[in-house]
Amino acid sequence: MTAAEQAVALAADELDLWSGVREAVRAGRYPDPRVRARLVRERDPVLLRRVGRLLDRPGLTGDELRPIRVGVLAPFTVGPFTDLLRASLVAAGLAPALRVADYGSFDLALATGEFGVGDPELVVLLLDESVFLPDRWSAADVDDFTGQVQRRLADFCAAVSSGAAGTTASLVLHTVPLPAEVRDTFLAWRDRAAVTALWHRLNATLLELSHKHPQVLTVDLVGALADTPSAVRDDRLHRYGDLPYTDAALARLAHEVRRAAQARAGLSRKVLALDLDNTLWGGVLGEVGVEGIALGGLYPGNAYRQLQLAAQRLREQGVILVLTSKNDAATVTDALTGHPEVLLRPDAFSYTAVNWSSKAENLREAATHLGLSTGSVVFLDDSPFERGQVAGALPEVAVLPADGDPARLVRTLLEPGWFDTLELTETDRRRPQMYRGRADRSTFSAGFDSSHAYLRALDIQLTVEPANRYTVARIAQLAARTNQFNLTGVRFDQAETSAMAADDGHLVASCSVVDRFGDEGIVGALWVRRGDPTWEVLNLVLSCRVLGRGVELAIAGWLVRQARAAGARAVEGRYVPTTKNGAARDFWTTSGFAAVTGERFRLDLDGTEDPTPDWITTKEQ
Amino acid sequence: MNEREEIADGVRRIVAEVLDEPVGALDENPILAAHEWDSLASLEALAQLESEFAVTLDLRSFHAARTVDDMVDLVAQSRPAPTR
Repeated sequence: MTAAEQAVALAADELDLWSGVREAVRAGRYPDPRVRARLVRERDPVLLRRVGRLLDRPGLTGDELRPIRVGVLAPFTVGPFTDLLRASLVAAGLAPALRVADYGSFDLALATGEFGVGDPELVVLLLDESVFLPDRWSAADVDDFTGQVQRRLADFCAAVSSGAAGTTASLVLHTVPLPAEVRDTFLAWRDRAAVTALWHRLNATLLELSHKHPQVLTVDLVGALADTPSAVRDDRLHRYGDLPYTDAALARLAHEVRRAAQARAGLSRKVLALDLDNTLWGGVLGEVGVEGIALGGLYPGNAYRQLQLAAQRLREQGVILVLTSKNDAATVTDALTGHPEVLLRPDAFSYTAVNWSSKAENLREAATHLGLSTGSVVFLDDSPFERGQVAGALPEVAVLPADGDPARLVRTLLEPGWFDTLELTETDRRRPQMYRGRADRSTFSAGFDSSHAYLRALDIQLTVEPANRYTVARIAQLAARTNQFNLTGVRFDQAETSAMAADDGHLVASCSVVDRFGDEGIVGALWVRRGDPTWEVLNLVLSCRVLGRGVELAIAGWLVRQARAAGARAVEGRYVPTTKNGAARDFWTTSGFAAVTGERFRLDLDGTEDPTPDWITTKEQ
Repeated sequence: MNEREEIADGVRRIVAEVLDEPVGALDENPILAAHEWDSLASLEALAQLESEFAVTLDLRSFHAARTVDDMVDLVAQSRPAPTR
């Protein structure tokens, strides 16, 4: 699979994780960034465990991975945790050397502060209730129970403190669920409440260890498990194998430990690049107008507003916001400034790229301007085309999908923990102000600067067919709605379109596009007067959804072939600038036409010119 | 493929994956103890079989299974009756 094919498969969520990792490991390498990006998203513990085991090969190479020595201690069978943790760490760009302390050495390690796992940078202490429960206890004496648990907790904290003093490693521990079988043993409501409260305080104490010892990082496993749709414990595995947690629970813990390891390794991302349409608001601004976008109010508008709020909160903590949108710049400024529900006003963005360049190019420019690497960028976009383009050109960017139900947007943004940092510094808080000198790259460009390899991997198929009674309504709708790629601004309505379609002297055609990401349906239309000897294009419109892929050139190619076959000598067209159609400005010259006057362009059909790009197949009907 | 063959295929695939061996190695020697069938491997297989076939296996019967065939029988018997 080429890198471009991989990027397309990743964006289409069809990248085969297992075979990707297996191929890499067979070649003696860690999986590449695209396969790792797929691995970050994986939640199936069965697959994660298998992948983790596959990655357990000494001597794997991978330049861009950061080595990390990790020790794991547990008072129970570590079981699948090591494989799950290895998979999670590799996903985040860390190359772990994992050592597990001997079974049964947990107490000794805590007593002596010697972890028995070499010289680790990170020590993970796995815990269950057995660490804190007394050996013998009676539910009839809740005070005695409380006292015993508190003593064991104090012993544990003292041990962690002395352990922390004796090492430079970070110690990762986690909150511990109170098992139902302990809670339910207490029959009196009052006692049960007291035990539960005791346990909450115990977990709070574990969390507060971070305050006393900056090296200690406590993961809230209890909170994370509340978001995990599977059982935390399988009693059979617990009793038979001394495994207190299911694979699903351990996978969740591995994910949280990964976030801690990533923050500790200084791999926190600093930049959030956001798309606009169907990401920061619902709907396509260029089609529905500023009054038509979904933002605020009831669902789904509230989901987009919550995302803006989440991004704003990230910004307050030092994440730099970048806006990247294929749109008309003036319309976007209007919407960002004037829409009452917008939270991210234009000055929230340290870099704005509202233009028709590829998103990878815009992100590269943004990173250069900000003086940061593209490896510090997280990119959120609803379009699989854009995500694939970025994943193909800049594999180090963390790409997040904003399609699917907008209700999930905030989770999609925050759950991977890309921005996690151990401590918020004054520099972090001030960072957005430091970049207040805002850069704007919203110049018009109609070019498609995606790599040809990527466009080829998309397998774009264009179908051009004469208008018929089933398509004429959609064609007229496109004419009415399309502002950006609209050559002349002339909007033929349904009646005019029907009349032209029925007339031999005219040609009206619809253009539809299918690619690896799905069927876009009818996205373009053209109206042509079939003169003799010159065909004249009255208008050509193309939805901005498919700009940047060369579709307009394939349409021009189709038109040229039709004209030539009909015996025409030349094709002429016009570009009439409007306030919004800068996207189409270079269309004629890029297609090989020559300017006759400022607005008129012409191609003489004396050669075999065909502007169709080689990555598009055209089906003619 | 009948139901039993489907189950047999799935069981062989999962057991082979857990043992990190090709399916052929199990066909040659279907006695589980002849492979690295330790308690951790067996519990991983248990979790995978239960998830794959949507069944709950009795841990005692599971440990009593000596061969891949025994395992297939166990899964087949544990299948919930199809609902209509």
